[in-house]
Amino acid sequence: MTISTFIIKNALRNKRRAFLSVSSVAASLFLLVTLQVALRELTQPPESSGAELRVAVRNKISLTNPLPARQRGIIEKIPGVEGVTPFTWFGGKYKGEEGMSFAQFAVDPKALGTVFSDAKMDAAGYKNFNEQKDSCVLGKITAEKYGLKVGDRFVLDSTVYPGSLTFRVAGIYSGTPDDRNMLFRQDYLDDSLGVPGQVGMWWLKVKSADDMPRVTAAVNQAFENTSAEVRAESERAFQLGFLAMLGNIKALVASISTVVVFTLVLVTASTMSMAVRERFRELAILKALGFRRRELFAFILAESFGLSVVGAAIGIGVAYCAYTFGDIGKMTHGIFVTFEVTPRIIGFSALVAALLGIVSAIAPSLAVARMSVVNGLKTLD
Amino acid sequence: MAAENIVTIRNLTKLYRQGEIDVTALNNVSLDIAAAEFLALMGPSGSGKSTLLHIIAGVDRPTSGECRVQDVDVTRLNESQLADWRNQNVGFIFQTFNLIPVLTAAENVELPLLLTQLNRSQRRKQVATALELVGLSDRAHHLPRQLSGGQEQRVAIARALVTDPKLIVADEPTGNLDSHSAQEVLGVLQSLRQDAGKTIIMVTHDPKAAAFGTRQIHLEKGELS
Ligand SMILES: Nc1ncnc2c1ncn2[C@@H]1O[C@H](COP(=O)(O)OP(=O)(O)OP(=O)(O)O)[C@@H](O)[C@H]1O
Ligand SMILES: [Mg+2]
Repeated sequence: MTISTFIIKNALRNKRRAFLSVSSVAASLFLLVTLQVALRELTQPPESSGAELRVAVRNKISLTNPLPARQRGIIEKIPGVEGVTPFTWFGGKYKGEEGMSFAQFAVDPKALGTVFSDAKMDAAGYKNFNEQKDSCVLGKITAEKYGLKVGDRFVLDSTVYPGSLTFRVAGIYSGTPDDRNMLFRQDYLDDSLGVPGQVGMWWLKVKSADDMPRVTAAVNQAFENTSAEVRAESERAFQLGFLAMLGNIKALVASISTVVVFTLVLVTASTMSMAVRERFRELAILKALGFRRRELFAFILAESFGLSVVGAAIGIGVAYCAYTFGDIGKMTHGIFVTFEVTPRIIGFSALVAALLGIVSAIAPSLAVARMSVVNGLKTLD
Repeated sequence: MAAENIVTIRNLTKLYRQGEIDVTALNNVSLDIAAAEFLALMGPSGSGKSTLLHIIAGVDRPTSGECRVQDVDVTRLNESQLADWRNQNVGFIFQTFNLIPVLTAAENVELPLLLTQLNRSQRRKQVATALELVGLSDRAHHLPRQLSGGQEQRVAIARALVTDPKLIVADEPTGNLDSHSAQEVLGVLQSLRQDAGKTIIMVTHDPKAAAFGTRQIHLEKGELS
């Protein structure tokens, strides 16, 4: 026998309790990892390539206020602007469906390749989109979900405009962080249901990242004191603006995480206290046999550390496998896309587990330190 | 009496302060114990037997007085020195057998050796010797619950022996045993003194057990009579 076999035998002495405490650590760490990953994805959405060159221009009052289409000519003349497209929310529901499962925007087909260069599509797709007014391009995920192929037609009922529109699939794109949007033509919207002369917002592409600050300033300035003042900002800033709305979700996730960790500390600390309490007499015997405080501390620490580390390995491992190899998009119905368990999150969770192991050893260690052999021997089993 | 004293106790007093009143567990006790003595310490309940034994064994401290064991004043050692000293010099046997239930007999016996420098095979050899001395070689791999009370107590004796201490202290080692098992245990203790030259201090209520000793002393209200 060695010290370590002794520790392991002790830890597994009450198998059910060891199992339960390992499971509760595992479940809690699974939850903790999940919350961290969700929080990360909410606060740092995957960035598409080209984001550093894109500018979002929206109505200064709010995103839901439209912008006049005539702004386009003025924007295009600003030096450094490479391309401009309207971007108008359609809010369509796929026929027969209750809710919206993907977003649709009206754009300018000619600017598509320039502004959203990360969306890859074959040349035929671009050609169709440019030539056929009722055509649209579909993200790969949505196309697959509905089994839509190039040439197919489908109907969307708008929740914004009165009525519905029929679209023809011109092409299927992929390569953006989330290939789900459907893009169709602004002129088709204007001619059918829309309000000609109005767009939702603008997306621009600038020539280089150095142009970005100057262009955003120039756009903002161009419409100052007009009936439709705008706010131009980088894609990143625009998204963060969105995320400001998620501020309370963030706080919520953070507080749930804290509660999880706190509960976990209570559970493991009480498990360890129980484990030590019921062996008090034995620990007194060990003391009588010549084991010193520090050796008994080491036993207790090793046991509680072991329990939390094993639990953590299981919880983190399961989370990692589930989110890495599972289809999170499907599981969450598209709310989350990448759901990446980063090394940082793994490291953080492992650290929590390690601290947990140490913290829960404190109270029992203090009790053992205070225990005299004589009093320990008097404890009843 | 042999010239060499293994335990020398002078004016040992132990007080327990309970609120306003002091309980005197030991009152000015002086005692010499010679090497290879088998001392039976008797007395009514509450007379201070365990207290005296605990001080000799270095797990409790007196309020005043001196307790030398082999020229070491145990009352002056600090906690961690005392732990080392116990490991090397005293074998402890308790009334309830106090084996670790998840360890086999051999592993229980091996416990005190984990604190020594001995390697695995040396440890194994000493464990085997100790188990043989108590006549339990064939039970080495049994768990405590697979042993009878008497066998458990003999394992505990083997554990007390395994570091080869000069002094063995036993607090009512037969208190929880039927008379047959008690005889076995007492026989083992007796042979330890006779064959291995151990000094044994045994607390007991039972005159028949005390008869195994080479000397009997009586405590009464914390004083030797
Ligand atoms: N922790 C304590 N606090 C207060 N008094 C104590 C404490 N421990 C022991 N005593 C008292 O000291 C005296 C001696 O106790 P001790 O345990 O040595 O008796 P004993 O002779 O071993 O008795 P028994 O035969 O019942 O085991 C008793 O009066 C007891 O009440
Ligand atoms: Mg007693």
